[in-house]
Amino acid sequence: MAGYEIDPCEKCEEAMQPYLDRALSDDERLQAEQHLAGCSYCAKRYRFEESLRQFVRKCCAEQMPPELKLKLASLRTPL
Amino acid sequence: MSGTDEETGARRVASEARNRVRFEEEALQLSDQVYRVARRLVSTREEAEDLVQETYARAFRSWRSFTPGTNLRAWLLRILTNLNIDRGRRKQRAPDEQPLEESDYFLYNRLEQASRDGNADEERVVERLSQDDIVGALSAVPHDFRDVVVLVDIGDFTYQDAANILDIPIGTVMSRLHRGRRILKRELADRATGGT
Repeated sequence: MAGYEIDPCEKCEEAMQPYLDRALSDDERLQAEQHLAGCSYCAKRYRFEESLRQFVRKCCAEQMPPELKLKLASLRTPL
Repeated sequence: MSGTDEETGARRVASEARNRVRFEEEALQLSDQVYRVARRLVSTREEAEDLVQETYARAFRSWRSFTPGTNLRAWLLRILTNLNIDRGRRKQRAPDEQPLEESDYFLYNRLEQASRDGNADEERVVERLSQDDIVGALSAVPHDFRDVVVLVDIGDFTYQDAANILDIPIGTVMSRLHRGRRILKRELADRATGGT
């Protein structure tokens, strides 16, 4: 919006997903990190999002049934 | 055929057999990771098992079309997602029309509000969610968005790999990922704090 400065937290929030995906340019990453160093509000939310991703991955790490592994091996071309 | 031709032919056959064996072994070593992704792309364990079996059957048949040195895991997942679409296992495409929360911080803010201790650390806030919440919320994300979230967040694929696997532009991967994660968080918030 003309005449208004962009809220730095809003900008930091926008950078969160690409930051965690390591998809920011060096400049953008540096800017986000500088903001995070001084803003506990955003820092908390970044840490939460990172923990959430790890938790999602952990919760979804379902082991393959051993019978399936045997079945897959049996699909190999016989020598 | 002269003796040397025969020898060359035999060597070629032997070399091809070695390449095939190596391919099959490498593919099988990736099966746990392939299964983990498959399990979240479809609804049930049975579907995931069928899909992984079909994927390996096809991969072993068409191993020659794999370019050595490229990403075998992504190649297998590409077969898998194509089979999943071909077999009509995916429900009709259901674009998510619901408006999304404006903020990426939304879930944290909601969970923090819902807690009695406003200063709980972030790990504790995550622990307010259960495994059932996560699995249920993920399965509630519409397929087009879920595929991307599963490949990137669970399969640990790059945006580019996900784009190749799903045969969509990288920009579409990024926008679906962003929307998919927001839908996931909304679903999690509903589960963890009991509706809107």
